[in-house]
Amino acid sequence: MSAAATHGDPGLQPERTTLAWGRTMLALVTVSAIFLRWLPHHGLPILLLFAVSAGAALAIYLTQRRRYRASARGIVREKVDADTSAVLWTAFAGIVLGALGIAVVLAG
Amino acid sequence: MPSNQTPPEGPTPPRGKLAERLLPGGTEPDPRFTLANERTFLAWIRTSLALLAGGIAIEAFTSDLFPEPVRKVLAVLLLLLGMLLSGGAAVRWIRVERSMRNSTPLPLPLIVPLLAGAGALAAAVVVVSVLWR
Repeated sequence: MSAAATHGDPGLQPERTTLAWGRTMLALVTVSAIFLRWLPHHGLPILLLFAVSAGAALAIYLTQRRRYRASARGIVREKVDADTSAVLWTAFAGIVLGALGIAVVLAG
Repeated sequence: MPSNQTPPEGPTPPRGKLAERLLPGGTEPDPRFTLANERTFLAWIRTSLALLAGGIAIEAFTSDLFPEPVRKVLAVLLLLLGMLLSGGAAVRWIRVERSMRNSTPLPLPLIVPLLAGAGALAAAVVVVSVLWR
């Protein structure tokens, strides 16, 4: 196995962190399903919320492998780069969902 | 360190521009702490997502329970709280990362009283509207 795939951390931090992103991805999928469920009540604008949450879930899904490799390598090197852009994008998605949701509720 | 460990290859890559700007100075913290901070951030994000989904759902599925103004107030309250928690989680992540880089005490989480206070407020709205009927 390559250096990227193994690490000596008994606390399995890379695994736990990648799983935490996976849980967040599943939460986003669930939330996007809930948005679709209330499409008949709120109308077409709710599709915007669906697109944002489903898109964020897809973005996490596509970066999981890279994320695990980076953190496993970081544990070996004793230095993990703080994933600033992933954190800011995820928070931004939450803020956009909230703003769109308030607009949908007030317009309806 | 276990003997089967492959030593890291090549020099450590430089930090990204965004990280340099938002998390300046200090020394690299223990990588385990950085990952733990990321997991805590994600736990807050999931809390925020639950509030956002709840806000959208409550306006729709309580239509024969509460009058429209109550539903709208509750929905907007939950959505606003979800939005603030998402932003607050990122702010807290940055503040914790900074204090770990500079070995200073971790900041108190402002999003904890925010969640507690707004949750209590939402419950109060429900109680008042149930008693009023």
